[in-house]
Amino acid sequence: MARRTSLPVTFVVPTIAILLVLSMVPTLYAIVIALQNRELSTPDYSWVWLSNFADLFLDRRFLNAVWVSVKWEIVTVVATMVVAIGLGVLMFEVAGPRLRNLHCLLFIIPVLLPRVSAAFVWKFAYHPLYGIATYPYRLVTGGLIFDPLSKPGTALFAVASVDVWQWGLFFAVIVLKLLETLPPQPIEAARLDHAKRWQIHAYVTLPMLKAPLISLMFVKMIESLRSFDLIYVMTRGGPGVATETLDMYAFSQGFIESGKVSYASAMAVLMMIATVITFTMLWKRVQA
Amino acid sequence: MSAIVCSHVDKAYGATTVIRDLNLSIEEHEFVVFLGPSGCGKSTLLRMLAGLEDISGGEVSIGGKVVNDLDPGDRGIAMVFQNYALYPHMTIFDNIAFGLRRQKVPAAEIRKRVDAVSRTLGLDPYLGRKPAELSGGQQQRVAIARAMIKTPKVFLFDEPLSNLDAKLRNHMRVEIARLHQSLKTTTVYVTHDQLEAMTLADRIVLLKEGVIEQIGAPAEIYLRPANMFVAGFIGTPNMNFVEVTVGRSDNGWTLTGAGTVLSIEGWGFHLQHGDRAVLGIRPPDLKTAGAGTAAILQGTADLIEFHGNDALVTFGSGGKEISALVPARECPALNAPVRYTFEEESIHLFEATSGASLRKQ
Repeated sequence: MARRTSLPVTFVVPTIAILLVLSMVPTLYAIVIALQNRELSTPDYSWVWLSNFADLFLDRRFLNAVWVSVKWEIVTVVATMVVAIGLGVLMFEVAGPRLRNLHCLLFIIPVLLPRVSAAFVWKFAYHPLYGIATYPYRLVTGGLIFDPLSKPGTALFAVASVDVWQWGLFFAVIVLKLLETLPPQPIEAARLDHAKRWQIHAYVTLPMLKAPLISLMFVKMIESLRSFDLIYVMTRGGPGVATETLDMYAFSQGFIESGKVSYASAMAVLMMIATVITFTMLWKRVQA
Repeated sequence: MSAIVCSHVDKAYGATTVIRDLNLSIEEHEFVVFLGPSGCGKSTLLRMLAGLEDISGGEVSIGGKVVNDLDPGDRGIAMVFQNYALYPHMTIFDNIAFGLRRQKVPAAEIRKRVDAVSRTLGLDPYLGRKPAELSGGQQQRVAIARAMIKTPKVFLFDEPLSNLDAKLRNHMRVEIARLHQSLKTTTVYVTHDQLEAMTLADRIVLLKEGVIEQIGAPAEIYLRPANMFVAGFIGTPNMNFVEVTVGRSDNGWTLTGAGTVLSIEGWGFHLQHGDRAVLGIRPPDLKTAGAGTAAILQGTADLIEFHGNDALVTFGSGGKEISALVPARECPALNAPVRYTFEEESIHLFEATSGASLRKQ
């Protein structure tokens, strides 16, 4: 009896301990630093408690970063899901098995590219003079310059398009495969029930796939939070602060501009709290 | 006017032909059952009527209108699937109302019609539930309600009872029969279960490899099978077949084979001296031969299956396995000698090569 109860504990405890150390120590250390006034230029520090947080809410650049982050999250997640479902359904409706396989192969390639490579490829594509993505505009307007990455109004969407290009196409493959797993009879029943093609998907297939589609959306939401590399390569948060997300701003405060690591840590802690609260609430709502 | 007419209908998947030059007309209010072994094309034919499969050749018309190129929804048909095919995420009410909503029927009328249909089928208490919360029989009733509410010209049933357990199957079979009696809607019903076919059908269409073997009322198919396939497929336990040689005798014909010689008058059959034929006799038609009477088939009982009222006795006769269904009280002991006789009226004769019945029409 004793052996039976002690064996699992023997195996599980070291693993849990290592995981706890790995995950909790940096987190706790970040919280500790956020309560101090450490800077990279000097080893001296003192405890300032919550004043970093108070400063943040008066910092207009921080508030802008919050807004940009929210915008980035919404734009990339919504666009990815729309593209994924649209293309997935389109492939399901139009393409035969061989064409589907070909498309799946093509659609997976973008997500296999390292993020930084993708960012560079598209940075060139959006080049105002030589880029292939801006070529149609030059052609139509007779050589006018259009630089989407350096206009505050378009920069975020131009960067988001790369994210959607990588993940939307990949998710389209997943959506197609999900549709293929559905039993054909409810779809046939819907055809007999006078449903049009789009109605079959709107009322039958996609609601049947609600759970996996929501899981996909969560994956994308988490993925979108980690777009530092993409934004860093394409715009470095610019023009001005138009694409400066929270992680970009924290990075520049901590390492590039002023070396205020405590201030940056305070931002990271706030981001963590906001993320945990948002995801918990969303998860609860979805479960209900 | 016929409700459904199939003329020269073909169905091929690539090089494989599933249905070949099929001609069939189904009358209004008729209950027709497509019966056949797996892969005989019966479901494919039904799905072609429904518009879920393309028609490779020929013409299908429903209610006097050619429907080859019509969408399933526009054919005036409703279908009940084997696995119910309910919309799992919708309530029972929404499942039943789905078709009407797509046709933009006003909400008040939908409410009224769903209530009426669910009352007929006893689904009132379940309208707010999801399909997964219902039993198989209830789910199938929802599927029938969903078909009924469209007031179709034709009902199509694709093996609707195969997923139910034996008891529920009997119950639902009776319900479907009642429903047809009250609605009188033309019905096409696909099954591989001959009991369902015999009990439900006005006419049975017996298919094999995409070709109609026989069309007829259940009794006609049972009593006068058109060929050996039909004779062997219909009836449980299966008909005994004995290869015989036909000979002319003074007052009729003799059939020689399986270690026996049978004298018949043979007026009901097309016979010729020297023909090779197959004699068919159903197990229930074999009677125990009394001590004084001459036995036609005899052997040693090597398998006895007790059915309750009856027992199925299997014995070898001239190298052939023969089965006889006898009342349980006449059941012999295992390995005891058995002797059976039968009446000439109960025999079937088929041509040995083509399998066609030799019975005079």
